[in-house]
Amino acid sequence: MSELPPLVFQAPVADWGWQIAWFFWFVAIGGGLAVAYWQVRRAAVAFTVFVATALGLLLVFFHLGRWWNMPLVLWELIRAGEFNLGSWMFLGVIILTVHLLLGALAAYAHAEDVGIYPPFGDRVREMTEGALFRGVFAANGVLSVVYSGFLLTQAHGIPLWGTALIPILWLISSAVAAVAVLELFYVLGLVDERVSVAGMKLALGLDALKLIAVLAFLHVSLTAMSAAARAGAEELVSGSLAWLTWGGVIGLGLAVPILLAALMLRYGKSKGLIAVSAVSSLAGVLFLRASVLLAGAWEPLLG
Amino acid sequence: MRLKPGEQPTRRLAHLWNEAACIGCAACVISCTATNNPEMLYRADEGRGGVASNIRRYEGVTAQGRPTLLLNQCAHCDEAPCMKTCPFGAVYRDENGLVRLDSRRCAGCRYCVTSCPYNARWVHPDTGLPMKCMGRGCLALVAAGQKPACVQACPANARDFGDLNDPESSVSRTLRTKRHRTLLPNSGAKPKYFIVEEV
Ligand code: SF4
Ligand code: SF4
Ligand code: SF4
Repeated sequence: MSELPPLVFQAPVADWGWQIAWFFWFVAIGGGLAVAYWQVRRAAVAFTVFVATALGLLLVFFHLGRWWNMPLVLWELIRAGEFNLGSWMFLGVIILTVHLLLGALAAYAHAEDVGIYPPFGDRVREMTEGALFRGVFAANGVLSVVYSGFLLTQAHGIPLWGTALIPILWLISSAVAAVAVLELFYVLGLVDERVSVAGMKLALGLDALKLIAVLAFLHVSLTAMSAAARAGAEELVSGSLAWLTWGGVIGLGLAVPILLAALMLRYGKSKGLIAVSAVSSLAGVLFLRASVLLAGAWEPLLG
Repeated sequence: MRLKPGEQPTRRLAHLWNEAACIGCAACVISCTATNNPEMLYRADEGRGGVASNIRRYEGVTAQGRPTLLLNQCAHCDEAPCMKTCPFGAVYRDENGLVRLDSRRCAGCRYCVTSCPYNARWVHPDTGLPMKCMGRGCLALVAAGQKPACVQACPANARDFGDLNDPESSVSRTLRTKRHRTLLPNSGAKPKYFIVEEV
């Protein structure tokens, strides 16, 4: 291992740690399932997009060090008529708010599936079944996941995050998360078997892609020009965060689901194993986000 | 005064620290806290550790085994990443070329903290505001035509502050005649904190 100067990690200073990882996780689920909704128009999918996006937004709102100042912030923005469209965080607020509204519409359309008959339910249902709504919903889902990746790449103080591999990794793992949720829905009887069978094969392919993307990210970072990126990657591979990488991202997130899928393809499906595999995948998606966040450090200024 | 997009500052105020003249007494570090955040004098900056000051002290050893010291602070970058990323436009440039904060617009997301290549910001534990040079105390001193607190406090004359647009300012003259550098020159931020390497 190379000799590196001591680093200042961002988490103790900026506090972009587990709470932001959970936020990204909810965005991954809400975004991925919005894409799945194109094909799987079920109440459970629509409700989950809405709830995941709402929970994500709540988490990130209360992560703000000055959330109580938001009314004044909004008032000042409107008063001055100045909006920083160059900031991914500002764009993200818009994208996620739109996603929450679209998720709410989709959930509204499925209200009668759970025995609630709201006014204009039929008309909303008709609209959400159309290709236009489903297309916009799916596109905004992709955008919300991509945003959560570019949010990191734009943080110029943290060289580990300065790679386009992060949005790609976020997109692939968001698809993994969406498939895992669909598998859980199958176990719970909320979607039919057809969705689940397609899901298992798709999940295997996505896991393979995710493994390649994770290894590429680690390789690019370990060989980067930046000392902070290299040191962050070394933390992930063999340092204090190695348990997250090998236990969480690779072990739970990839090895367990791949092994279980291989077993089931060979010996037949089991709802119990499907549930274990899906939960394990979802945990891996969270650990991936946490590990990338926690390994972020500033470039050493001395040495 | 907040500059509008595309508007150029009339002055480009900049800091200069002479590493060869500095005796490492940390008078600037403490005077910075005393002038700008006196409530933090007896409280540590829990995030980064050490004194809660807009000046950060780094100590190390060179490849040749010599002890080395670096004092760093916000460089009021000409292409400040913290300004570009702030979602609510709370970070802005004023007519003096200083990068300032409008606390009314700050929600405390700390994007400016992670966007700064120089790790120049710390988060105030009471207000949640991302702190950095210049603080309110120094802004008042500069408005009154004085040098900021760190420059006044330095017993070794290792610090200076002035207008880069004025060729006759003391900082412009020093930069013309003495070897100097900026930190992470490839960061793209165009920092205006200059480290002078000779007395
Ligand atoms: S100018 Fe003022 S705020 Fe900036 S480093 Fe010096 S003392 Fe601190
Ligand atoms: S040094 Fe950091 S905080 Fe200061 S202007 Fe540059 S990017 Fe912003
Ligand atoms: S912490 Fe405040 S100043 Fe910094 S980016 Fe967020 S809103 Fe802007």
